[in-house]
Amino acid sequence: MKLIAGVDIGNSTTEVCIGGVTDSGEFRFLSSASRMTTGTKGTLPNVLGVKAALEEAMDRIQRPVSDLSLVRLNEAAPVIGDTAMETITETIITESSMIGHNPSTPAGAGEAVGELLFIGNLWKGKPGVPYIVAAENRFSYEEIASRLNQYIPELDICGLILQADEAVLVENRLNRPMPIVDEVRHIGKVPEGKLAAIEVALPGTTIRMLSNPYGIATLLKLDAEETRAVTPIAKSLVGKRSAVVIKTPHGNVKENVLPAGEIVLHGEQTLQVNIDAGADEIMDTLARAGEIRDIDGQRDTNVGNMLNRIKTSMADVAQVGGDEIRITDILAVDTLAPVEISGSLAGETCMEKAVGIAAMVKTQQLPMQQIAARLERDYHIHAVVAGVEAVMASLGALTTPGTTLPLAILDMGGGSTDAAVLEADGTVRTTHQAGAGELVSMLIQTELGLESRVTAEQIKKYPMGKVESLFHMRLENGAMQFFEESIDPRYFGHVVLLSPGEMLKVEEDIPMERILEVRRDAKRKVFVRNALRALRTVAPDHDIRRIPNVVLVGGSAEDFEIPEMLMEALSEYRIVCGRGNIRGKEGPRNAVATGLLLSYLGTGER
Amino acid sequence: MEVNEQLIQAITRAVVEQLRRNGVQPPYGQNAQKPSEPGVNTLAGKTRMRPKHSYEGAQKAPQGTDPKEIVIGVGAAFQTEIRSTITGIPLEEVIRNVKAGIEEEGMTSRVVKVLDTSDVGFMALKSAKLSGSGIGIGIQSKGTTVIHQKDLYPLTNLELFPQAPLMTLETYRRIGRNAARYAKGEMVTPIESVNDPTVRAKYQVKAALMHIIETEQLDPDKGMIPWEDGDKR
Repeated sequence: MKLIAGVDIGNSTTEVCIGGVTDSGEFRFLSSASRMTTGTKGTLPNVLGVKAALEEAMDRIQRPVSDLSLVRLNEAAPVIGDTAMETITETIITESSMIGHNPSTPAGAGEAVGELLFIGNLWKGKPGVPYIVAAENRFSYEEIASRLNQYIPELDICGLILQADEAVLVENRLNRPMPIVDEVRHIGKVPEGKLAAIEVALPGTTIRMLSNPYGIATLLKLDAEETRAVTPIAKSLVGKRSAVVIKTPHGNVKENVLPAGEIVLHGEQTLQVNIDAGADEIMDTLARAGEIRDIDGQRDTNVGNMLNRIKTSMADVAQVGGDEIRITDILAVDTLAPVEISGSLAGETCMEKAVGIAAMVKTQQLPMQQIAARLERDYHIHAVVAGVEAVMASLGALTTPGTTLPLAILDMGGGSTDAAVLEADGTVRTTHQAGAGELVSMLIQTELGLESRVTAEQIKKYPMGKVESLFHMRLENGAMQFFEESIDPRYFGHVVLLSPGEMLKVEEDIPMERILEVRRDAKRKVFVRNALRALRTVAPDHDIRRIPNVVLVGGSAEDFEIPEMLMEALSEYRIVCGRGNIRGKEGPRNAVATGLLLSYLGTGER
Repeated sequence: MEVNEQLIQAITRAVVEQLRRNGVQPPYGQNAQKPSEPGVNTLAGKTRMRPKHSYEGAQKAPQGTDPKEIVIGVGAAFQTEIRSTITGIPLEEVIRNVKAGIEEEGMTSRVVKVLDTSDVGFMALKSAKLSGSGIGIGIQSKGTTVIHQKDLYPLTNLELFPQAPLMTLETYRRIGRNAARYAKGEMVTPIESVNDPTVRAKYQVKAALMHIIETEQLDPDKGMIPWEDGDKR
């Protein structure tokens, strides 16, 4: 029996499939394997990953790699995906005009207005004037409480701002209830003598007066002009548990729009679009520009530098001159990134507008031939580059039970989303679109403000639960799961990701509901948008309704919720859509490698 | 590492001498004869470091039912034979900070003295079992601390602070805060543990002596007793 291998090098994984042809010409699939792609797709470092995958697959049928008589590589589409992110707004607090953060335990509730006074200057206070007292952390909670209690009979003290995390401790010792805000890191910057309004919300609620411009106007007695000026302050305090707004002559919260720059789309017509316009506008302009030859950005702007960075890094890996690298598609996604506000007193953060961009870079040709040559030299096995990726994927997808021609595939990988329609007469239309799994990871990382990309990847891949006690956890769908043995105490109270075999802890203190929302939103923004865009491109007459059935293949089709999302979105167009099951057992992976073997049968090379 | 018998003897002698000179903590029994010369030999024949404290009339601490309650279990010699931790932090300050940490999180605390055991892991577990929330803190008189949960095995725990000499009042405040957060079921970031390899060499003898003082005060018949205003006894 003659053994042949199909090898598919993708942006993030390398898939291998082994088949045997008997002397009588019968063909059987024997084994398969999947490994991380080493290096950028289509470059020589891939050889390492290919070898590892080949060895793993051959190991499964207990044969040495040298028994192979042929290796067929995919003619990888010369497209490489990359992603970048840029914040386009920044928020600045001027003249320390507000404090608005979420201390874990503020105390008291309600709002108050008074003149700011440091605790060391209480003796300067005049009776009859309402005061909001600020206390540095060199005073202990007992000292603060006893000093205030001493002055409470003569002074009108109506609110308290603390530097230390001691609001509840002070409140429990005070003779008069008042709203107390704590954990204000830079308390020294509080301008003494100015009029201020303080508000603390009840547990489980958020502030109402200070997040409303008219509320601020009521408390600080502002006129119409001044009220207009405090609107940004009110806006930035929405959703906070406690806040202080200080009336300073020029104090305000400013949102600066950073010079994000223009994107220039060189297509059938050359169009320009500003990044500030938002993702929808950018994508509309992209569609209007027709077939794209290249995309670049305005020089010395954020987007210009971002696109340049993508091009140069690609030029490096593909080892060609910078001119030969062209960006042929981008996917822009609006997102929000939590960024610390400059000029803040308590480490306030603000969700700044940002735009994430996935770009598809086209080179003249990827050096696949070199990979084949290297394999041939190392293993002494005949290796050929055979078959266009999308065609092979369609062939492989056809092995899914229940499929028929004409068939559309949607190959959702790490770097790109590819679509192909295979007509009954054998004609194939294909497209490559920027943006897939990696962009989703980046969006999750940015929006949740995660330290590491790895955590973002894991959030993308696995469902979650929250460990509520040492013996049970609440799953993301609300169900409870109980355990016989206690869960490791390290997981207590944490949101954990349920990867097979072990639980992974999310270190950041983010509610499970928020993670869920961000995760689903990121997947929808990237995959649903890209699927529709890609299918429209390959559909007969660009009419999605004329595609009868869609098979989802590729790594991201293995995801536990993306196929359902797409199914929902595509059911609108009456399309049968589902996760592929290559050869009835591989799931959505291995389509291209399988297609490479099937096409071998068709070539008559045997 | 080479163990130098003479060096150990010399250190022990110096420590005992120091303890003796401090006066507050005479390492000899009341009716012990005056030592003729300072040194280890003079301890020969002595069976106790300190006279036995009487807990006559003390009631057993009741089982807690309040889900907001966190029980702090202190060592047998806490605030009686030993008044400050291994680095000299007054024990009332330690207790005050742990309680403040708990209070700031909106929970309540109850202090008991554990007379069954001087093993900090078991002290913490016993406190946790007594606690209405199921979370307990064990504090040895030398300062070593464990946060425990009632359903865990004795040798697992929520957080352990093994190196007493590195503890500060800020650490004790955070221990209280974290214990309260465990009781609330919130996400807790464990207090980063500090480690100093020289601590063991510097404090081993003192730690051993303090532990002996604590252990000889055990009174298993009494079990756990309320210790709310410990410093006033």
